Amino acid sequence: METKTILLVEDNADDEALTFRALMKNNISNQLVVARDGAEALDYLFATGKYSGRDVSLGPQVVLLDLNLPKVSGLEVLRQLRANERTKLLPVVILTSSNEDQDRLQGYDSGANSYVRKPVDFNQFVESVRQLGLYWLILNEQPPARR
Amino acid sequence: MMSGPTPHYHLQEARPDPEPESSAIENARRATLNILEDFAAEKCELESGQRATLNILEDFDAEKKRMAGAERAVLNILEDFASEKSQLEEFQHSFLNILEDFSQEKNRLEGTQRAVLNILEDFEGEKANVELVNERLENEIRDRKHIEVEMQRTNMELSAANKELEAFSYSVSHDLRTPLRSIDGFSQALLEDCADKLDATAMDYLHRVRSAAQRMATLIDDMLNLSRVTRCELRRESLDLSAIAKSIASELQEAEPERRVEFAIEDGLTAVADPQLIRVAMENLIRNSWKYTSGHPTARIEFGRSDANVKDCFFVGDDGAGFDPRYAARLFGAFQRLHTAKEFPGTGVGLATVHRIIHRHGGEIWAIGAVEKGATFYFTLR
Repeated sequence: METKTILLVEDNADDEALTFRALMKNNISNQLVVARDGAEALDYLFATGKYSGRDVSLGPQVVLLDLNLPKVSGLEVLRQLRANERTKLLPVVILTSSNEDQDRLQGYDSGANSYVRKPVDFNQFVESVRQLGLYWLILNEQPPARR
Repeated sequence: MMSGPTPHYHLQEARPDPEPESSAIENARRATLNILEDFAAEKCELESGQRATLNILEDFDAEKKRMAGAERAVLNILEDFASEKSQLEEFQHSFLNILEDFSQEKNRLEGTQRAVLNILEDFEGEKANVELVNERLENEIRDRKHIEVEMQRTNMELSAANKELEAFSYSVSHDLRTPLRSIDGFSQALLEDCADKLDATAMDYLHRVRSAAQRMATLIDDMLNLSRVTRCELRRESLDLSAIAKSIASELQEAEPERRVEFAIEDGLTAVADPQLIRVAMENLIRNSWKYTSGHPTARIEFGRSDANVKDCFFVGDDGAGFDPRYAARLFGAFQRLHTAKEFPGTGVGLATVHRIIHRHGGEIWAIGAVEKGATFYFTLR
């Protein structure tokens, strides 16, 4: 059976725990892979570095991407993703603290599919994660695999 | 001119008479002979003088002839001269005419010269004036250049300060919110996961922690919005203020349909201003009215153009809770509130934001109100 992996790119351990909790509360049981900086995210996506040899055909189904990241920034991860033939259609949701105009603009400009601001109120965050899961994991149809 | 030989006479001295009688006669005879002799000589001399005179006269005649010739020649010359003279006279006449004309011309020229001199004199005065004005202008230009340099420097400082503020705001937006999510999220996790181990007081504390975190998040957002009002670039467009007011009013009525609030919005009010910022300002003002009339069963909120003598002065007014005019000065300060959060919720940023927006448009804002007699906010846009 095909497992729909979620890649969470998040450097803050608290946010990682809260996101995991929010996913659990919404009964989203997909495998959650966490990359703690931009370079690790790129390694996972391109099956390089510590992820060399990974079966890239297994996904991820969606990337939840923070913007402020160590090493390689979230926007740079996004640009490299979009420049790669295999990952250029991969759904990417920017999940961040910022609602600055410039971040939103640059996020969409670099090819984000969605931009969600993490609310402080945990209950609101759980609701956001529920809607994201429903949309990107269930409602949204993936682009067909290239032959 | 003619000098002939001058005749001169020799008078012989009487010799002593040796014999008084015969000798006296003899002497007389001799004397007479001598005289005659002398006279003959004298006569010869006279004759030669006469001859000389005749020669002279003869010479004179020739001379005279020559003279006559000369005279004729002179007369001829004079005659010639006479015709010459008439010509000269004519010439003189015409010359006089010319002189006369010239004299008139000269008078005219003198007149012109006087006029020119007057003009020059005026011009001198004018020149002095112009020089004075020039000097003032030069001073002004110097001052302006100085101000320009000063302004450039200030602008650079301002731009640097803005960049810093930008970076600061960005950091606040990202970094201050992250711990708040942890505080709120893990408090909520405790409430959910450990509910059976917590008593009512512990649960209450956790709720307080959560609401404080959320309030701080709101404060951060309001602060960011306030700073964004100052940071963003001003873009002026022609705006239909009445339409903006109506859309805000209908949003409010849709959100709380149970409220009985009458909106009186004057039609056709326009302004040239930043569409986003003006929307924020008007939303703050109208939402304020909506909020501060919430204690009354019915209310009226008005948007219109003021009859005051100020050009393009608009107002948003209500018949709500109003404010104590003694504290009116604090109305527009950031995080300043005239009511407690229990009476009316808020962070005290709304009117500060409006104030900044109006000021960025070069306008003014002021308020008139009294406790329980409503409040009216007047503003101008430039």
